[in-house]
Amino acid sequence: MPKYADDPTWADIVPLPTDEGGPNPLAAIAYSDDYSETMSYLRAVMAAKEHSPRVLDLTEDLIDMNPAHYTVWLYRAETLFALHSDLRAELEWLNETALAHQKNYQIWHHRNLIVDRLCGEEQGVVDEEGLWKAECEFVEQMFERDAKNYHVWSYRQWLVRRFGLWGPVELEFTERMLARDLRNNSAWNHRWFVVNGRAEMEGDGGLGVEDPEVRAREVKFAMEAVAKTPQNQSPWNYLRGIVRKTGMSLGHLKGFAEQYASLKEPDEVRSSFALDLLAEVYVEEKKAKEAGEVLDLLATRYDPIRKHYWQYRKGLLGVEGAAAA
Amino acid sequence: MSLAAGPGRGGGADTQLPDELALVVEKQVAYIQSLDKRRDELEYHLTEHLRISGVYWGLTALHLLRHPDALPRDGVLDFVFSCLRPNGGFGAAPGHDAHMLYTVSAVQILAMTGGFEELETRFPNGKMRIAKFIADLQQPNGTFAGDEWGETDTRFLYGALNALSLLRLLHSQRTDEPPLINVSAATAYIKACQNFDGGFGVAPGRESHSGQVFTCLAALSIAGELDSYLGEEGKDRLGAWLSERQLPSGGLNGRPEKLVDSCYSWWVGSSLAMIGRFHWIDQKKLTRFILQCQDPEQGGFADRPGDMVDVFHTVFALTGLSFAGYPELDEVDPA
Repeated sequence: MPKYADDPTWADIVPLPTDEGGPNPLAAIAYSDDYSETMSYLRAVMAAKEHSPRVLDLTEDLIDMNPAHYTVWLYRAETLFALHSDLRAELEWLNETALAHQKNYQIWHHRNLIVDRLCGEEQGVVDEEGLWKAECEFVEQMFERDAKNYHVWSYRQWLVRRFGLWGPVELEFTERMLARDLRNNSAWNHRWFVVNGRAEMEGDGGLGVEDPEVRAREVKFAMEAVAKTPQNQSPWNYLRGIVRKTGMSLGHLKGFAEQYASLKEPDEVRSSFALDLLAEVYVEEKKAKEAGEVLDLLATRYDPIRKHYWQYRKGLLGVEGAAAA
Repeated sequence: MSLAAGPGRGGGADTQLPDELALVVEKQVAYIQSLDKRRDELEYHLTEHLRISGVYWGLTALHLLRHPDALPRDGVLDFVFSCLRPNGGFGAAPGHDAHMLYTVSAVQILAMTGGFEELETRFPNGKMRIAKFIADLQQPNGTFAGDEWGETDTRFLYGALNALSLLRLLHSQRTDEPPLINVSAATAYIKACQNFDGGFGVAPGRESHSGQVFTCLAALSIAGELDSYLGEEGKDRLGAWLSERQLPSGGLNGRPEKLVDSCYSWWVGSSLAMIGRFHWIDQKKLTRFILQCQDPEQGGFADRPGDMVDVFHTVFALTGLSFAGYPELDEVDPA
C-alpha cells in the first residue's frame, strides 16, 4: 500500500525514484515498498529545496525506518533551522529515537547541533542549567542500556566541555557508573577526562593529578578498585597513567603490587597486571634477575598468549642489566 | 554492492575440526561477486548510505584473494563516477550528500583500478577538485570534518591524508605553491588524541579504541612522523596496549573488556604491523579464530563464529589472515 501517493498532503509532489540505474526491482518487492516510496518523496523535496512542516514528518518517517541515512538527518536539521522550529520538542523526539536505535551515531551529532543552537544567540533565553541537567540525566538513562556506548560517551564529554561541568557532580557520576561495573573502561576514561581535562584541554587552571591532593585521591580510588577486581586492567592503566603524568616513582606502588603478585609465592598470583608492574619496579631498582623471573612467570603461566611480548621485555633487560653491571 | 548480512553464518568451532579449518578462496570470491545481485532485499536499500565503501571493501578483498578482476571494472567505475557531487566530494550512492568517508573510498577504488585517467577525461581537473573538497574540510585546529556540518573524527583526518596521498597532492607540486592542507597541524592534533593508557581516541580525551589507534598511526605514517613521534619506547607502550587486545579465543577486541570481533584483525593487526610488533600476538590462535568466523559453505566472514557474514567483516578478516602469513593471500600494506 503506498503511503504517500494516496495522501492529499503530498499530491503536488512527483516522487523521484532511485537513480542507481538498471531495471528497478523495487516495485515488485512488497516489503521494501514503504522505504523506497518514502525515499522517492525525500529526493523530490530535496531537489525542490523545500523546507516545510511536512518535510519534518517525512524525515521522521525515514529515520524511523533507517536512522543511519546521514543525508536525511542533515536535511532535517536544515529544515528545523529554516522553520525556526521548537527545538525542545525536537529533543523530546530525539530521546525516543535514541532509545530505539542504540548504535546509531547520527542521532548524537544531530542532538549536538540542536543543543548548541538552543544555547546559541538565536534563542538566548534558555535556562542553560536546566538544559544540561536534563541532558546529563538522559545520557545516564542511555547508559542503563549500554554503559560503553562510544557515541554516548562522546556526547557526555561534549556536555562537560560545553557547560564546564568539571566539578564534583561529574566525579560522582563516574563513581556511580563504576559502582555498577568496575570493568567499564569508558567510565575510567571519563574519570581521567573529568579530573585532567580542564588542565589538559581548556588551559584555564586546574592541575589535574599534578595537584598532590588530587593525585592522592585518585591513587586511592584506583587502588580500591584493584582490591575488588585485581585482574581488571582499567584501574591498573589508570594508576600507570598517574605515575607517568606526575613522574612519581614506581617504587611507591611496589608494596601495593606485591599484595597481588610476588616472586615468593609464584603459585598465588592474583593479577598479571601486578606482575607487569612489579617487573618494572625491579628494573627501576636495577634488579635484572628478579625482573627476568617475573617476566618468565608472565610468559609461561599468567599471560602466555603474549609470550613474545614478555620475551621482548626480557631481552631489553639483558641489555640494561649488562649496562648496569 | 550489498552490505546486507548473510546469507550464511560463520561456521562455529563445533562444526569443524581444527585441522579442517582452511580458507575457501573460490567461495569467498563467489560470495563477493554475489553481493551486487541482492537488490531484492530490504537490507540492500537500508545500507545504501554505505554503498561505495562496500564496493571498496569487496574490491580490496578480491585483490587479497588474488582475483582483482572478479568485479567488472567498467561497472565499478561507472558507479563511482555516479556518486561524484558538484563540490568535488563523493556521496555513498547517487543522490547522497558528499562526505569525507565516501570520498576516500572513491579515491581508493580509483587508485586500485587505475581509474584516475578516466576521472580526468570525464571530469576535467577531477583530481584537483576532489583534493580541494578534502582540503576545505580541514579545521583551524588541524583535524578534519566529515562534511560541511562539522562533525570531526580522527577517521576523517586519516582519510584525508590517505586520499590526498593517493592523489599525489598531499604536498605542494611546486616550491612556489602553498600546500593544500596543513600537515603539521593535522599531526599535532593526532598527538593530542593520545591518552594516558598510550592508545588514541576519536578526539582529545576520548577513550582509546583500536580503530582510532589505527587511524592515528596510519595518518602519522603517511605524514612521515610515526617513528620520530613514538620512538622505541612509545612503540613498546602502544604495542603492549594493542597486544592486550588478544583474548584467549585468539580473537582481538577494540577496547578493554569488550567482545572480540574479526574486524579488529585489521585495526589491531595493521597498527601492530606499522610499529613492527605484530609478532607480539599469537598468530596461530588469531588465524584459527578468523577461520572459525568463515562460512565454509557459501563464503564470507562474520564478526564472531555463529553470526551472519557480511562484506565488512570479510575484508578485515582476510587482512588479518594476510598479516598472519596465511598462504594464497596477497600481502597487505598496513597504512
